[in-house]
Amino acid sequence: MIEISVDAAACNGCGLCVKDCPMRVYELKDGVSVPVRPENCMGCLSCHEICPAQALEHRGVYPSKRHYIDIRVCEMINRVL
Amino acid sequence: MMTEMTVDEMNRQFKTGTVFRAEDVPMSCSPSAKDMEQTLHGVMKMNGLIIKSLEEIAGRGANAVTYRAGKKFGHEVAKYFRKNEDIEEALRELSYILHGQYTFELWKPEDKENYVVTENGETFIYLVFHDCIVRQTLRRNGMEQGGPLCQTLYGYVVGAIEEITGRRAKLEIVHTGPNACLKKLILK
Repeated sequence: MIEISVDAAACNGCGLCVKDCPMRVYELKDGVSVPVRPENCMGCLSCHEICPAQALEHRGVYPSKRHYIDIRVCEMINRVL
Repeated sequence: MMTEMTVDEMNRQFKTGTVFRAEDVPMSCSPSAKDMEQTLHGVMKMNGLIIKSLEEIAGRGANAVTYRAGKKFGHEVAKYFRKNEDIEEALRELSYILHGQYTFELWKPEDKENYVVTENGETFIYLVFHDCIVRQTLRRNGMEQGGPLCQTLYGYVVGAIEEITGRRAKLEIVHTGPNACLKKLILK
């Protein structure tokens, strides 16, 4: 079961997550996004990518493999950090 | 003389004296997966550029080419599978076999009772793709999801399902995301 939490203080009520989610997981209530159907979330995390306020948090999502990181760029960043 | 010396050098370099026997089939990846990382990235980059160029030259025709390629691949891979008329079982078996390349699961919204849904005269199953080498490649190259490279995946699944179940099918993209994609397998 996926748990979704929205940082109400950060959410600016733009409604992008509401429009983006094909499973209508979110609804706007009093200008804040509320996950009304978290059981329908399939964990694609496109709402994370689209949220300008980075107000969303998911728990219990299957983490897909990520091979697309550019190794050389990461090496450079690590050297700088 | 020159040729002989070069061959000698090559022999020394590649250790052609090593004896390979039939039972010496490697049981693990050689070189190690870590050493293959650069190669993998090279292949991903190359694939991305091929698809980008194909799209520039062939336009929408690129989708047909990649779909066809994927379908052939699907038929080719699945012809060794056990034939099964149960579509759900066939999909689970396919996901198990493809684990690591494409990990997908059958999915249904909370209000649906079964995975196989019939709506408006259409029978379909939702599939959520978690691990997908196509998505990795597209994101590695900063390309949009849902383009011609995704068509290879549609073709692949459709080809494999047709081969296993003997039923005609069509795959439609419903939604794409950085962590998973939702697809609809329409059964005919």
